[in-house]
Amino acid sequence: MPEAVKRYSTFADRVNPLVKIFVAVGLFLTVILIHDPNHLFHLAIIMFILLFILSGVKYIYIALLTGAILFFGFISSLYMIFYGEGTTTIFRLGIIHVTEESAVRGLHIMMRGITLSFFGALIVFTTRITDVFYSLMQQGRLKPKYAYSFMAAVRMVPIIAGEYMALRRARKVRRALIHRKYISGLRGFISTLVTLLSQSIRRAWRLGVAMESKGFDDGPRTYYHRTTYSIHDLHFVLLILLGVILSAFLGEWFSPFDTVDAR
Amino acid sequence: MAKRKGLTLTDVLITVVIALVFSFVYSIWGGVYTALEPLGLHLNQLLYGMWFIAAVVAYLVIRKPGVALIAEFAAASGETIVMLQFDVMLIVYGLIQGLACEIVFAIVKYKSTSLMVAVIAGISAALATFPLDWYYGYLGQLATWNLLLMFGFRVLSGALIAGWLAHLLYRALKETGVLKLVGNGHAAEEGL
Repeated sequence: MPEAVKRYSTFADRVNPLVKIFVAVGLFLTVILIHDPNHLFHLAIIMFILLFILSGVKYIYIALLTGAILFFGFISSLYMIFYGEGTTTIFRLGIIHVTEESAVRGLHIMMRGITLSFFGALIVFTTRITDVFYSLMQQGRLKPKYAYSFMAAVRMVPIIAGEYMALRRARKVRRALIHRKYISGLRGFISTLVTLLSQSIRRAWRLGVAMESKGFDDGPRTYYHRTTYSIHDLHFVLLILLGVILSAFLGEWFSPFDTVDAR
Repeated sequence: MAKRKGLTLTDVLITVVIALVFSFVYSIWGGVYTALEPLGLHLNQLLYGMWFIAAVVAYLVIRKPGVALIAEFAAASGETIVMLQFDVMLIVYGLIQGLACEIVFAIVKYKSTSLMVAVIAGISAALATFPLDWYYGYLGQLATWNLLLMFGFRVLSGALIAGWLAHLLYRALKETGVLKLVGNGHAAEEGL
């Protein structure tokens, strides 16, 4: 994550990336198993608080991100609110049938999404992408050829973006000369993609041959950038675990929803 | 380049780069996908096949075991890299869809590049995440007609986008001659 958006750094920055990923998968499974909307409501709030405190990112970015997460979370739950089954009708218009049950269920799905998004944002703000791959190699025993090809490919992202912009500009300049069908619609989509893909494959091939001859192919190897497990990892796991348990108790203490089962 | 059976670093690198190009498409696609969501009629499911097109294209280009899985993982994590948005769900889904494609390709022993194989891989990837969606999105509690609509759109999209469109892209790529560089050089023997 670029340092420009950070205000301060916390212990979350020093947690091993592999641990973060495992916690993220664990949280995903936990969220699927939670059916009590009150529990999930508090878990979403706790995740937001963790993001707010631990990420150390400037407030404006957190505000923008939170807005986006809430908005997209709501939109992606509309299918259930509108068409879910239920008996207590709130609103009916044509094929849209909003019931109390479907509304709660829809909000539950939305809270699942935002809980995971808040946690995901925390990880993005506290992890360097290259560290993920170093950690995968050093702690996760991933073969170097996979990790280094990912890292090399990440470096190509700006080049791909630049190429796309160049292609757009080139087409703009020659607009009068090219038939429309090659620019818009499916034809245009394919011609753009084929251009980007073929250039990228060529570049990747050249780089791949160079890297293979320099011995990036197989181990054993030593590392300049070292990642290790530390006490911070334990703190992080315990913190998230505590959050999940605490939210269950909070859900009983303060219940914004009448039901305890969204199904 | 020496002919080797397993995946070389170059193979992996090319796979990942293909996936990253698609993760740009995903980032744009995501906007369209979301824009179609509010109706709740699952029109967005018609676009669903795009999420695993990378696996099919990468397989058609390289044709080695593991490529589809790596491509899907890279494309899913590529969204994190391009959009700076980490979503565990995305990566779990990506891996499952990649695995589904991988199984189809293993059945044809990583040889066939026919349209049919691409379409079947697309459909199986479309179906692969359905059980997970069932639990996550409480699909069992959805009105039946709405559920069927979602199911139908998704399968159709898997076949059309991940199957047919991926194959179209592959043929276009083949014409550029760039595939001579890739894999075991089998493309060169096909007279390119």
